[in-house]
Amino acid sequence: MSRAPAVPVPGRAPGHLGPEPFVVELDRFRGPLDLLLHLIRSQDIDIFDIPIARITAQFQVALDSGLERLELDRAGEFIEMASTLVRIKAQLLLPRNEEPDWEDDPRADLVRRLLEYEYFLEVARVLLGAEADRRRHFAKGYVEPRSAPEASLPELETGREEFMEAVKSMPEPGPEASHRAPTRGVTVEEKMSLLGRLLEKARRLSFDKLFRPWGTRPHAVAALMACLEMARQQLIRIEQSVPFGSIWIFPRPRLVEGGEAEDVGDEPQAAGAAEGA
Amino acid sequence: MRPEQIVEATLFASQGPLTPEELARADESLDAAGVREAIEALREAYDEADRAFQVYQLGEGYQVLTRPEYAPYLERFDAVPRSPTLSEAALETLAIIAYRQPIGRVEIEEVRGVGSSSVLHTLQDWEMIEVVGRGEGLGRPLLYGTTRRFLDHFGFQDLDDLPEPDELSVSLREDGETGGGEGPAEPRSVQRELEPSGAGEAPVREVEVERDG
Repeated sequence: MSRAPAVPVPGRAPGHLGPEPFVVELDRFRGPLDLLLHLIRSQDIDIFDIPIARITAQFQVALDSGLERLELDRAGEFIEMASTLVRIKAQLLLPRNEEPDWEDDPRADLVRRLLEYEYFLEVARVLLGAEADRRRHFAKGYVEPRSAPEASLPELETGREEFMEAVKSMPEPGPEASHRAPTRGVTVEEKMSLLGRLLEKARRLSFDKLFRPWGTRPHAVAALMACLEMARQQLIRIEQSVPFGSIWIFPRPRLVEGGEAEDVGDEPQAAGAAEGA
Repeated sequence: MRPEQIVEATLFASQGPLTPEELARADESLDAAGVREAIEALREAYDEADRAFQVYQLGEGYQVLTRPEYAPYLERFDAVPRSPTLSEAALETLAIIAYRQPIGRVEIEEVRGVGSSSVLHTLQDWEMIEVVGRGEGLGRPLLYGTTRRFLDHFGFQDLDDLPEPDELSVSLREDGETGGGEGPAEPRSVQRELEPSGAGEAPVREVEVERDG
Protein backbone atom coordinates (compact mmCIF):
# COMPACT_ATOMS: atom_id res chain seq x y z
CA MET A 1 0.00 0.00 0.00
CA SER A 2 2.69 2.46 0.95
CA ARG A 3 5.08 3.07 -1.83
CA ALA A 4 8.56 2.88 -0.56
CA PRO A 5 11.34 5.07 -1.88
CA ALA A 6 14.30 2.89 -2.70
CA VAL A 7 16.71 4.31 -0.14
CA PRO A 8 15.98 6.38 2.92
CA VAL A 9 17.95 9.31 1.47
CA PRO A 10 20.17 10.48 4.25
CA GLY A 11 22.09 13.69 4.22
CA ARG A 12 20.22 15.49 1.48
CA ALA A 13 17.89 18.40 1.79
CA PRO A 14 14.75 17.01 3.36
CA GLY A 15 12.56 18.91 0.92
CA HIS A 16 12.22 16.09 -1.57
CA LEU A 17 10.98 13.64 1.03
CA GLY A 18 7.46 14.93 0.96
CA PRO A 19 5.18 17.38 -0.70
CA GLU A 20 6.20 20.09 1.78
CA PRO A 21 9.76 20.98 2.51
CA PHE A 22 10.29 20.91 6.20
CA VAL A 23 13.07 21.45 8.64
CA VAL A 24 12.82 19.86 12.02
CA GLU A 25 14.63 21.04 15.11
CA LEU A 26 14.90 17.86 17.08
CA ASP A 27 15.28 19.49 20.47
CA ARG A 28 12.02 21.34 19.98
CA PHE A 29 10.20 18.06 20.40
CA ARG A 30 9.47 16.48 23.72
CA GLY A 31 10.06 13.03 22.39
CA PRO A 32 9.73 10.65 19.48
CA LEU A 33 5.93 10.57 19.63
CA ASP A 34 5.78 14.35 19.49
CA LEU A 35 8.05 14.35 16.45
CA LEU A 36 6.12 11.59 14.69
CA LEU A 37 2.83 13.36 15.28
CA HIS A 38 4.30 16.53 13.90
CA LEU A 39 5.46 14.75 10.75
CA ILE A 40 2.06 13.16 10.28
CA ARG A 41 -0.14 16.13 11.10
CA SER A 42 1.93 18.76 9.31
CA GLN A 43 1.65 16.77 6.09
CA ASP A 44 -2.03 15.94 6.44
CA ILE A 45 -1.30 12.26 6.51
CA ASP A 46 -4.13 9.89 7.36
CA ILE A 47 -3.03 8.49 10.67
CA PHE A 48 -4.76 5.18 9.95
CA ASP A 49 -2.75 4.76 6.79
CA ILE A 50 0.70 6.06 7.60
CA PRO A 51 3.16 5.78 4.70
CA ILE A 52 5.74 4.16 6.90
CA ALA A 53 8.62 4.29 4.43
CA ARG A 54 8.28 8.02 3.91
CA ILE A 55 7.78 8.80 7.59
CA THR A 56 10.69 6.59 8.56
CA ALA A 57 12.96 8.38 6.13
CA GLN A 58 11.85 11.77 7.42
CA PHE A 59 12.26 10.65 11.00
CA GLN A 60 15.80 9.53 10.29
CA VAL A 61 16.66 12.79 8.58
CA ALA A 62 15.43 14.64 11.64
CA LEU A 63 17.57 12.41 13.85
CA ASP A 64 20.63 12.91 11.66
CA SER A 65 20.29 16.63 11.99
CA GLY A 66 20.09 16.91 15.73
CA LEU A 67 20.64 13.68 17.60
CA GLU A 68 24.16 14.48 18.78
CA ARG A 69 22.92 17.60 20.52
CA LEU A 70 20.60 15.62 22.77
CA GLU A 71 21.40 14.08 26.10
CA LEU A 72 22.04 10.39 25.96
CA ASP A 73 18.71 9.36 27.48
CA ARG A 74 16.70 11.53 25.16
CA ALA A 75 18.71 10.39 22.15
CA GLY A 76 18.00 6.79 23.11
CA GLU A 77 14.28 7.43 23.10
CA PHE A 78 14.43 8.72 19.55
CA ILE A 79 16.63 5.86 18.41
CA GLU A 80 14.26 3.33 19.91
CA MET A 81 11.41 4.81 17.89
CA ALA A 82 13.52 4.82 14.74
CA SER A 83 14.13 1.11 15.17
CA THR A 84 10.42 0.50 15.74
CA LEU A 85 9.68 2.29 12.49
CA VAL A 86 12.24 0.25 10.60
CA ARG A 87 10.77 -2.94 12.04
CA ILE A 88 7.27 -1.96 10.97
CA LYS A 89 8.56 -1.06 7.54
CA ALA A 90 10.11 -4.50 7.22
CA GLN A 91 6.95 -6.22 8.39
CA LEU A 92 4.93 -4.34 5.80
CA LEU A 93 7.10 -5.83 3.09
CA LEU A 94 6.15 -9.33 4.11
CA PRO A 95 3.22 -10.88 2.31
CA ARG A 96 0.02 -10.46 4.29
CA ASN A 97 -3.56 -11.64 4.19
CA GLU A 98 -5.54 -10.64 1.15
CA GLU A 99 -8.22 -9.35 3.50
CA PRO A 100 -6.65 -6.34 5.12
CA ASP A 101 -7.27 -6.73 8.78
CA TRP A 102 -6.57 -3.92 11.19
CA GLU A 103 -5.54 -6.29 13.92
CA ASP A 104 -2.89 -7.70 11.63
CA ASP A 105 -1.53 -4.38 10.52
CA PRO A 106 2.00 -3.92 11.86
CA ARG A 107 1.20 -0.23 12.23
CA ALA A 108 -1.77 -0.75 14.54
CA ASP A 109 0.11 -0.51 17.81
CA LEU A 110 1.98 2.59 16.75
CA VAL A 111 -1.26 4.24 15.63
CA ARG A 112 -2.84 3.44 18.96
CA ARG A 113 0.07 5.02 20.81
CA LEU A 114 0.05 8.10 18.60
CA LEU A 115 -3.66 8.66 19.06
CA GLU A 116 -3.41 8.14 22.76
CA TYR A 117 -0.52 10.56 23.02
CA GLU A 118 -2.27 13.13 20.85
CA TYR A 119 -5.29 12.85 23.06
CA PHE A 120 -3.27 13.73 26.12
CA LEU A 121 -1.57 16.56 24.27
CA GLU A 122 -4.99 18.01 23.75
CA VAL A 123 -5.91 17.54 27.40
CA ALA A 124 -2.66 19.33 28.27
CA ARG A 125 -3.78 22.24 26.11
CA VAL A 126 -7.08 22.35 27.99
CA LEU A 127 -5.12 22.37 31.25
CA LEU A 128 -2.97 25.22 29.95
CA GLY A 129 -6.08 27.27 29.28
CA ALA A 130 -7.57 26.44 32.66
CA GLU A 131 -4.33 27.42 34.35
CA ALA A 132 -4.30 30.78 32.57
CA ASP A 133 -7.94 31.42 33.55
CA ARG A 134 -7.26 30.50 37.13
CA ARG A 135 -4.33 32.87 37.32
CA ARG A 136 -6.61 35.75 36.55
CA HIS A 137 -8.31 35.26 39.90
CA PHE A 138 -6.54 36.71 42.90
CA ALA A 139 -6.96 35.69 46.49
CA LYS A 140 -6.80 37.63 49.67
CA GLY A 141 -3.29 38.41 50.79
CA TYR A 142 -1.95 38.75 47.27
CA VAL A 143 -1.18 42.44 47.62
CA GLU A 144 1.27 43.14 50.41
CA PRO A 145 -0.14 45.34 53.18
CA ARG A 146 2.75 47.81 52.97
CA SER A 147 5.48 48.19 50.48
CA ALA A 148 7.91 45.41 51.05
CA PRO A 149 11.14 46.42 52.74
CA GLU A 150 13.94 46.72 50.25
CA ALA A 151 15.12 43.25 49.69
CA SER A 152 18.58 42.73 51.05
CA LEU A 153 20.54 41.91 47.97
CA PRO A 154 23.25 39.34 48.14
CA GLU A 155 26.76 40.63 47.91
CA LEU A 156 27.78 40.86 44.32
CA GLU A 157 30.61 38.99 42.84
CA THR A 158 30.87 41.59 40.14
CA GLY A 159 30.29 40.23 36.71
CA ARG A 160 31.17 41.63 33.35
CA GLU A 161 27.73 43.13 32.72
CA GLU A 162 27.72 45.13 35.93
CA PHE A 163 31.24 46.26 35.21
CA MET A 164 30.30 47.51 31.75
CA GLU A 165 27.18 49.22 33.10
CA ALA A 166 29.28 51.21 35.51
CA VAL A 167 31.71 52.12 32.79
CA LYS A 168 28.92 53.36 30.60
CA SER A 169 27.70 55.60 33.38
CA MET A 170 31.11 57.26 33.67
CA PRO A 171 30.98 60.97 32.91
CA GLU A 172 32.27 62.07 29.55
CA PRO A 173 35.70 63.65 29.68
CA GLY A 174 35.32 67.25 30.72
CA PRO A 175 35.23 69.92 28.02
CA GLU A 176 38.58 71.38 29.07
CA ALA A 177 40.14 68.03 28.44
CA SER A 178 38.78 67.69 24.96
CA HIS A 179 40.90 70.43 23.46
CA ARG A 180 44.04 69.43 25.23
CA ALA A 181 45.75 67.30 22.66
CA PRO A 182 47.14 64.15 24.14
CA THR A 183 50.85 64.44 24.02
CA ARG A 184 51.28 60.74 23.52
CA GLY A 185 49.23 57.66 23.37
CA VAL A 186 49.07 55.18 26.16
CA THR A 187 49.14 51.42 25.94
CA VAL A 188 47.15 48.92 27.92
CA GLU A 189 50.45 47.44 29.12
CA GLU A 190 51.53 50.77 30.56
CA LYS A 191 48.26 51.09 32.36
CA MET A 192 48.58 47.59 33.70
CA SER A 193 51.98 48.20 35.17
CA LEU A 194 50.78 51.51 36.58
CA LEU A 195 47.84 49.78 38.17
CA GLY A 196 50.17 47.14 39.52
CA ARG A 197 52.43 49.78 41.10
CA LEU A 198 49.49 51.63 42.57
CA LEU A 199 48.20 48.46 44.12
CA GLU A 200 51.57 47.75 45.66
CA LYS A 201 51.24 50.96 47.64
CA ALA A 202 47.55 50.90 48.35
CA ARG A 203 45.71 47.83 49.40
CA ARG A 204 42.79 48.85 47.32
CA LEU A 205 41.91 51.36 44.71
CA SER A 206 38.67 53.02 43.89
CA PHE A 207 37.73 52.27 40.33
CA ASP A 208 36.85 55.95 39.83
CA LYS A 209 40.40 56.95 40.75
CA LEU A 210 41.70 55.16 37.71
CA PHE A 211 39.88 57.52 35.45
CA ARG A 212 39.81 60.79 37.26
CA PRO A 213 43.38 61.98 36.77
CA TRP A 214 43.34 61.52 33.00
CA GLY A 215 40.53 63.13 31.16
CA THR A 216 41.14 61.78 27.72
CA ARG A 217 39.35 58.94 26.13
CA PRO A 218 42.41 56.89 25.13
CA HIS A 219 43.55 56.93 28.75
CA ALA A 220 40.16 55.90 30.02
CA VAL A 221 39.92 53.11 27.47
CA ALA A 222 43.40 51.88 28.23
CA ALA A 223 42.71 51.95 31.97
CA LEU A 224 39.50 50.00 31.49
CA MET A 225 41.21 47.46 29.26
CA ALA A 226 44.01 47.13 31.77
CA CYS A 227 41.48 46.45 34.50
CA LEU A 228 39.71 43.82 32.48
CA GLU A 229 42.92 42.17 31.38
CA MET A 230 44.27 42.04 34.91
CA ALA A 231 41.00 40.64 36.19
CA ARG A 232 41.15 38.03 33.47
CA GLN A 233 44.67 37.10 34.46
CA GLN A 234 43.44 36.93 38.03
CA LEU A 235 45.91 39.58 39.14
CA ILE A 236 43.19 41.74 40.60
CA ARG A 237 39.80 41.26 42.11
CA ILE A 238 37.02 43.74 41.40
CA GLU A 239 34.35 44.19 44.03
CA GLN A 240 31.34 46.22 44.79
CA SER A 241 29.60 45.77 48.10
CA VAL A 242 26.29 47.36 47.26
CA PRO A 243 24.62 47.62 43.87
CA PHE A 244 25.52 50.88 42.17
CA GLY A 245 28.03 51.60 44.93
CA SER A 246 31.64 52.35 44.29
CA ILE A 247 33.78 49.71 42.72
CA TRP A 248 36.99 48.69 44.37
CA ILE A 249 39.98 47.01 42.91
CA PHE A 250 42.04 44.71 45.09
CA PRO A 251 45.30 43.02 44.38
CA ARG A 252 44.90 39.29 44.23
CA PRO A 253 47.08 36.82 46.00
CA ARG A 254 48.89 34.73 43.53
CA LEU A 255 49.93 31.16 43.75
CA VAL A 256 53.36 31.43 45.26
CA GLU A 257 56.10 29.25 43.88
CA GLY A 258 55.80 26.77 46.68
CA GLY A 259 52.22 26.21 45.62
CA GLU A 260 50.51 27.51 48.71
CA ALA A 261 47.73 29.91 47.93
CA GLU A 262 47.23 33.03 49.92
CA ASP A 263 43.73 34.20 50.17
CA VAL A 264 44.22 37.37 52.17
CA GLY A 265 43.92 39.72 49.26
CA ASP A 266 44.44 42.84 51.30
CA GLU A 267 47.86 41.86 52.56
CA PRO A 268 50.65 44.00 51.14
CA GLN A 269 52.87 41.14 50.08
CA ALA A 270 50.24 40.06 47.62
CA ALA A 271 50.62 43.29 45.70
CA GLY A 272 53.73 41.94 44.07
CA ALA A 273 51.43 39.82 42.03
CA ALA A 274 50.82 42.66 39.66
CA GLU A 275 54.43 42.67 38.58
CA GLY A 276 53.92 39.85 36.22
CA ALA A 277 52.01 42.27 34.02
CA MET B 1 -27.17 37.26 62.01
CA ARG B 2 -28.11 35.41 58.87
CA PRO B 3 -26.15 32.32 57.75
CA GLU B 4 -24.95 34.20 54.63
CA GLN B 5 -23.30 36.80 56.78
CA ILE B 6 -21.55 34.25 58.96
CA VAL B 7 -20.31 32.37 55.91
CA GLU B 8 -19.33 35.63 54.27
CA ALA B 9 -17.32 36.70 57.31
CA THR B 10 -15.52 33.36 57.40
CA LEU B 11 -14.77 33.35 53.69
CA PHE B 12 -13.57 36.93 53.94
CA ALA B 13 -11.15 36.12 56.71
CA SER B 14 -9.71 33.07 54.96
CA GLN B 15 -6.73 32.98 52.66
CA GLY B 16 -7.41 29.55 51.22
CA PRO B 17 -10.34 27.45 50.09
CA LEU B 18 -12.64 26.18 52.86
CA THR B 19 -14.90 23.17 52.53
CA PRO B 20 -18.55 23.47 53.52
CA GLU B 21 -17.76 21.35 56.57
CA GLU B 22 -15.00 23.70 57.62
CA LEU B 23 -17.21 26.73 57.07
CA ALA B 24 -19.98 25.14 59.15
CA ARG B 25 -17.71 25.20 62.20
CA ALA B 26 -18.36 28.94 62.44
CA ASP B 27 -21.74 28.40 64.08
CA GLU B 28 -23.85 25.59 65.53
CA SER B 29 -26.77 26.62 63.39
CA LEU B 30 -24.83 25.79 60.22
CA ASP B 31 -24.35 22.51 58.44
CA ALA B 32 -22.76 21.72 55.09
CA ALA B 33 -26.03 22.01 53.22
CA GLY B 34 -26.81 25.31 54.92
CA VAL B 35 -23.36 26.59 53.99
CA ARG B 36 -23.94 25.69 50.34
CA GLU B 37 -27.23 27.55 50.37
CA ALA B 38 -25.59 30.55 51.96
CA ILE B 39 -22.83 30.50 49.35
CA GLU B 40 -25.41 30.41 46.58
CA ALA B 41 -27.12 33.43 48.10
CA LEU B 42 -23.80 35.25 48.38
CA ARG B 43 -22.90 34.47 44.78
CA GLU B 44 -26.18 35.91 43.58
CA ALA B 45 -25.81 38.97 45.75
CA TYR B 46 -22.28 39.61 44.49
CA ASP B 47 -23.42 39.25 40.89
CA GLU B 48 -26.31 41.59 41.47
CA ALA B 49 -24.17 44.20 43.19
CA ASP B 50 -21.49 43.82 40.52
CA ARG B 51 -18.81 43.23 43.10
CA ALA B 52 -15.20 42.84 41.96
CA PHE B 53 -15.01 39.46 43.67
CA GLN B 54 -17.00 36.28 43.76
CA VAL B 55 -17.10 33.02 45.69
CA TYR B 56 -15.43 30.31 43.61
CA GLN B 57 -15.30 26.60 44.15
CA LEU B 58 -11.84 25.08 44.04
CA GLY B 59 -11.78 21.39 44.60
CA GLU B 60 -14.10 20.77 47.50
CA GLY B 61 -13.48 24.17 48.98
CA TYR B 62 -14.78 27.67 48.46
CA GLN B 63 -12.79 30.86 48.35
CA VAL B 64 -13.41 34.51 47.63
CA LEU B 65 -11.36 35.52 44.59
CA THR B 66 -11.34 38.57 42.38
CA ARG B 67 -13.11 38.36 39.08
CA PRO B 68 -10.84 37.84 36.08
CA GLU B 69 -11.46 41.27 34.54
CA TYR B 70 -9.52 42.88 37.39
CA ALA B 71 -6.39 40.87 36.71
CA PRO B 72 -4.66 43.68 34.77
CA TYR B 73 -4.86 45.95 37.81
CA LEU B 74 -3.76 43.38 40.31
CA GLU B 75 -0.91 42.12 38.18
CA ARG B 76 0.80 45.44 38.78
CA PHE B 77 1.40 44.28 42.33
CA ASP B 78 3.80 41.49 41.75
CA ALA B 79 4.21 41.22 45.46
CA VAL B 80 3.72 37.64 46.48
CA PRO B 81 5.17 34.75 44.54
CA ARG B 82 2.31 32.81 43.02
CA SER B 83 2.16 29.19 42.13
CA PRO B 84 4.29 28.47 39.08
CA THR B 85 3.00 28.02 35.59
CA LEU B 86 3.67 24.48 34.51
CA SER B 87 5.82 23.40 31.61
CA GLU B 88 4.42 21.53 28.62
CA ALA B 89 5.97 18.32 29.87
CA ALA B 90 4.43 18.84 33.31
CA LEU B 91 0.99 19.56 31.84
CA GLU B 92 1.18 16.52 29.61
CA THR B 93 2.18 14.31 32.53
CA LEU B 94 -0.54 15.75 34.74
CA ALA B 95 -3.11 15.11 32.03
CA ILE B 96 -2.15 11.46 31.93
CA ILE B 97 -2.20 11.12 35.71
CA ALA B 98 -5.53 12.92 36.02
CA TYR B 99 -7.23 10.50 33.64
CA ARG B 100 -5.47 7.28 34.55
CA GLN B 101 -4.87 7.58 38.25
CA PRO B 102 -3.68 5.69 40.13
CA ILE B 103 -0.85 5.23 37.68
CA GLY B 104 2.82 4.34 37.94
CA ARG B 105 5.83 5.94 36.32
CA VAL B 106 6.33 3.17 33.79
CA GLU B 107 2.80 3.49 32.45
CA ILE B 108 3.19 7.25 32.19
CA GLU B 109 6.42 6.80 30.27
CA GLU B 110 4.76 4.34 27.93
CA VAL B 111 2.19 6.94 26.98
CA ARG B 112 4.66 9.81 26.65
CA GLY B 113 7.44 7.81 25.06
CA VAL B 114 10.00 9.63 27.19
CA GLY B 115 11.54 9.31 30.64
CA SER B 116 9.44 11.07 33.23
CA SER B 117 11.02 10.72 36.64
CA SER B 118 12.23 14.29 36.91
CA VAL B 119 8.91 15.77 35.86
CA LEU B 120 7.21 13.52 38.42
CA HIS B 121 9.49 14.86 41.12
CA THR B 122 8.72 18.41 40.13
CA LEU B 123 4.99 17.77 40.20
CA GLN B 124 5.36 16.22 43.64
CA ASP B 125 7.38 19.19 44.86
CA TRP B 126 4.57 21.45 43.76
CA GLU B 127 2.03 19.16 45.40
CA MET B 128 0.14 18.67 42.17
CA ILE B 129 0.42 14.93 42.54
CA GLU B 130 1.04 12.55 45.40
CA VAL B 131 1.76 8.92 45.94
CA VAL B 132 -1.59 7.23 46.43
CA GLY B 133 -0.44 3.66 46.74
CA ARG B 134 1.71 0.91 45.38
CA GLY B 135 1.04 -1.23 42.39
CA GLU B 136 1.25 -4.95 42.01
CA GLY B 137 4.24 -6.46 40.37
CA LEU B 138 7.96 -6.12 40.50
CA GLY B 139 9.16 -3.74 43.18
CA ARG B 140 5.62 -2.67 43.97
CA PRO B 141 5.91 0.56 41.97
CA LEU B 142 4.60 3.82 43.38
CA LEU B 143 1.26 4.94 42.04
CA TYR B 144 0.46 8.60 41.61
CA GLY B 145 -2.76 10.57 41.79
CA THR B 146 -3.70 14.23 41.62
CA THR B 147 -4.16 16.38 44.72
CA ARG B 148 -6.50 19.10 45.94
CA ARG B 149 -3.80 21.53 45.00
CA PHE B 150 -4.10 20.30 41.42
CA LEU B 151 -7.78 21.19 41.38
CA ASP B 152 -7.04 24.58 42.92
CA HIS B 153 -4.24 25.33 40.45
CA PHE B 154 -6.53 24.82 37.48
CA GLY B 155 -9.66 26.18 39.09
CA PHE B 156 -11.43 22.84 38.84
CA GLN B 157 -14.21 21.76 41.16
CA ASP B 158 -13.50 18.10 40.60
CA LEU B 159 -12.05 15.76 38.02
CA ASP B 160 -15.28 15.86 36.04
CA ASP B 161 -14.19 19.32 34.95
CA LEU B 162 -11.63 17.65 32.76
CA PRO B 163 -12.89 17.39 29.20
CA GLU B 164 -14.67 14.26 28.08
CA PRO B 165 -13.02 12.48 25.15
CA ASP B 166 -15.69 13.58 22.68
CA GLU B 167 -15.34 17.21 23.68
CA LEU B 168 -11.90 17.21 22.15
CA SER B 169 -11.14 17.52 18.49
CA VAL B 170 -9.10 14.35 18.52
CA SER B 171 -11.72 11.83 17.73
CA LEU B 172 -10.78 8.24 17.83
CA ARG B 173 -13.82 7.00 15.97
CA GLU B 174 -14.54 9.11 12.92
CA ASP B 175 -11.09 9.13 11.38
CA GLY B 176 -10.97 5.38 11.32
CA GLU B 177 -12.92 4.83 8.15
CA THR B 178 -10.01 4.98 5.76
CA GLY B 179 -7.91 2.88 8.03
CA GLY B 180 -8.59 -0.42 6.36
CA GLY B 181 -12.21 -1.40 6.01
CA GLU B 182 -13.90 -2.42 9.18
CA GLY B 183 -10.62 -1.87 10.89
CA PRO B 184 -10.53 0.26 13.91
CA ALA B 185 -11.38 -2.26 16.55
CA GLU B 186 -8.08 -1.41 18.16
CA PRO B 187 -8.59 2.35 18.38
CA ARG B 188 -12.01 1.76 19.87
CA SER B 189 -10.54 0.05 22.83
CA VAL B 190 -8.32 3.08 23.16
CA GLN B 191 -11.45 5.14 23.28
CA ARG B 192 -12.75 3.12 26.15
CA GLU B 193 -9.54 3.39 28.12
CA LEU B 194 -9.53 7.11 27.70
CA GLU B 195 -12.76 7.69 29.53
CA PRO B 196 -11.70 9.84 32.44
CA SER B 197 -13.68 8.08 35.08
CA GLY B 198 -13.72 4.56 33.79
CA ALA B 199 -14.80 1.63 35.87
CA GLY B 200 -12.64 0.30 38.63
CA GLU B 201 -10.68 3.46 39.34
CA ALA B 202 -11.60 3.73 42.95
CA PRO B 203 -8.83 6.10 44.07
CA VAL B 204 -10.12 8.73 41.64
CA ARG B 205 -13.24 8.78 43.69
CA GLU B 206 -11.25 9.46 46.79
CA VAL B 207 -10.52 12.94 45.57
CA GLU B 208 -14.19 13.61 45.22
CA VAL B 209 -15.28 12.12 48.47
CA GLU B 210 -17.66 14.11 50.58
CA ARG B 211 -18.49 16.48 47.81
CA ASP B 212 -22.15 16.02 48.52
CA GLY B 213 -21.84 14.85 52.07
